Amino acid sequence: MQLVVNIVVLASIYALICCGYVLIYRVSRVVSLAHGELMMLGAYGLYATASLFTGHPLGAIAAAALLAIVLGGLVYFLLMRHMTGEMVLAAVLTTIALGILLRGVIVLVWGAQEQHPLHVLGWQNVALPVGPRAKISVVGLTLVLTTAAVYLGLWVFLRRTRWGIRMRAVGQNPLLAAQRGIGLHGIYALAWSLATFTGGLVGMLIASDSALDQGMVVIGLKAFPAALVGGLDSLLGTLVGALIVATAEVLLIHYVNPLLADVVPFLVLLATLIVRPWGLRGTREELDRV
Amino acid sequence: MKRIPVFVMLLGLMFAGAAAAQDAYVIGATGAMTGPAAANFAPVLEAMKAYLDNLNAKGGINGKQVQMIIQDDSGEPSKAAANAKKLIAQDKVLMLVTSSPSSTYAPLVVESKRAGVPLYYAGAVCPKETYPPADPLQFCSTAYGATLDSQAALAFVKAQSTEPVRIGFATMAIPIARAEIEYAEQLAKQLGMTAVDTEITPPPTPDYTPFATKLKDANPNWVYSWSPWVSQVRTFEALRRLGWNGRYITWAHLNAEEELARIKDPTLYVVGTNALFQDNLPIHAEIRATTQRANLKYPATYLAEGFIAGLVAESVLRATAWPPTPAKVVAAMNNLKVDLKGLRGGPLEWTADNHFRTTQHYRVWHWDAAKQAIIQIQDWQAIPVKR
Repeated sequence: MQLVVNIVVLASIYALICCGYVLIYRVSRVVSLAHGELMMLGAYGLYATASLFTGHPLGAIAAAALLAIVLGGLVYFLLMRHMTGEMVLAAVLTTIALGILLRGVIVLVWGAQEQHPLHVLGWQNVALPVGPRAKISVVGLTLVLTTAAVYLGLWVFLRRTRWGIRMRAVGQNPLLAAQRGIGLHGIYALAWSLATFTGGLVGMLIASDSALDQGMVVIGLKAFPAALVGGLDSLLGTLVGALIVATAEVLLIHYVNPLLADVVPFLVLLATLIVRPWGLRGTREELDRV
Repeated sequence: MKRIPVFVMLLGLMFAGAAAAQDAYVIGATGAMTGPAAANFAPVLEAMKAYLDNLNAKGGINGKQVQMIIQDDSGEPSKAAANAKKLIAQDKVLMLVTSSPSSTYAPLVVESKRAGVPLYYAGAVCPKETYPPADPLQFCSTAYGATLDSQAALAFVKAQSTEPVRIGFATMAIPIARAEIEYAEQLAKQLGMTAVDTEITPPPTPDYTPFATKLKDANPNWVYSWSPWVSQVRTFEALRRLGWNGRYITWAHLNAEEELARIKDPTLYVVGTNALFQDNLPIHAEIRATTQRANLKYPATYLAEGFIAGLVAESVLRATAWPPTPAKVVAAMNNLKVDLKGLRGGPLEWTADNHFRTTQHYRVWHWDAAKQAIIQIQDWQAIPVKR
């Protein structure tokens, strides 16, 4: 039972991280390699607001989430907007530069020491029983519920709301969408804001479950294979990919060798690329372009 | 026309810099000032520089200023190599200092040997080459030392246990940490303990629970961990959340004092060689004052290791007659005895044969729930460093 809990929590982490990759890629065909840094900045945002709003943890969380949304919009308007119409590779390289810049800024502002936002919020990460033999931490449970809420929310948003349908239209054919009067910059900015928001959420939750340090950047990249396994332009595929990667990782750690943890996501990715290069639910045409 | 004055200014600055350097003891440092490992390494160099700057404000050493140049290598070997080349060839440093993960050592050793400049590990784990018989150019004052730390930790486990010891191990997937845990497994068997499981986590991992689950399932009553703090403490916290009630002993990194007070778990023990700030020694007050003056980002409790490096550098340079050369610095380092003012259990001694220390002293601390404070559970235990 504990293994099932571990798989669900790890899959939730990967799925919530990959959500940001998919949102940006699906709309603009850009793979954001600054996603790990944006996650980390979201977590530092929580640390900052928790320090500011002492005694008001919910206010601190809400402020940090709002900051993440604004940050995503700013990244688009100040930086990525200028990449519109340029080669995709140039935009990807820009995200790498952004990541390097953010890492430097974070060290300058907060230093390199480990931080504990949950401790600053005044909360404890206690364990809850799941059946007679398994446990889950409160933050772990929140992670699972948040991932479910985010995916459900995105599904409703993309299927049922005007802005969601516009976003899908821009993703499918930006030229036609623009001719129909959809403002591309607004949609792209929305995608960046949503991606940074979800990235910020998972950053805050990982930092609350364990701690906040610069290793989070690597975690952001480690989750990337799950998005590729599922198909880089499919949210549902990402959920499936995250579940497959997490299952393989947890089972191999437990039954074979913990040293395999680092390579498992890439082994699963390699296997998927051989059989189905565009991912389990990705669009074949889209990846051929890349 | 506009470019000429800029060019002239740059030339002027270059000559001014060179002139200043010629009138100062110049030491160069490469360290993980940024990157995932920075928390363990950056405070050492920042504190060392603050110590030397403070010394400069009091008149310097032998009437000369000490210039410390710090380069960031982010814990990456390629950057460390480039830094070492620049520091040796361009800045003409007398001593190369490092505070970075062990993966950066190889290129530093190559550059150090090529130029005959001593390599001083100030905040990075001491390599075997500094133990007797020592490499002529490698020196180390860092608190943690391979094999000795495990000897101290497992001796404590044995002394504390009345029941048979079933011990688990946790470490990070980096070469030096894995080697130490392999050594500890063998040592545990020699001491009559049963080694039940070893978990090696990648650096970093999003969730330590899968590793902790396997460790808990092996049912140890003790766990020993020797790796960067992140892996040590997150494995412990994951074990506790799974309901494991055993005792956990781990290395006292720079942030140990702060972390013991945060976690408040009476059966989490840390073993280390640097006195904690709860001792409130006069040198601790000095560290606090220097931290405030230099406006350092890190809490004073992170800075003892860097101050030790400052004390060592001061002693070495005091014994280096003007004009200094790397060879004179090596000669001074080969015959060194530094009073660490209580920061460790004894003085730091280097000889021509031993560039680590002649005796390593260990203490063990934990959180006392009744006193709501960190207490020493074992005072200095000396382990002689033998060939």
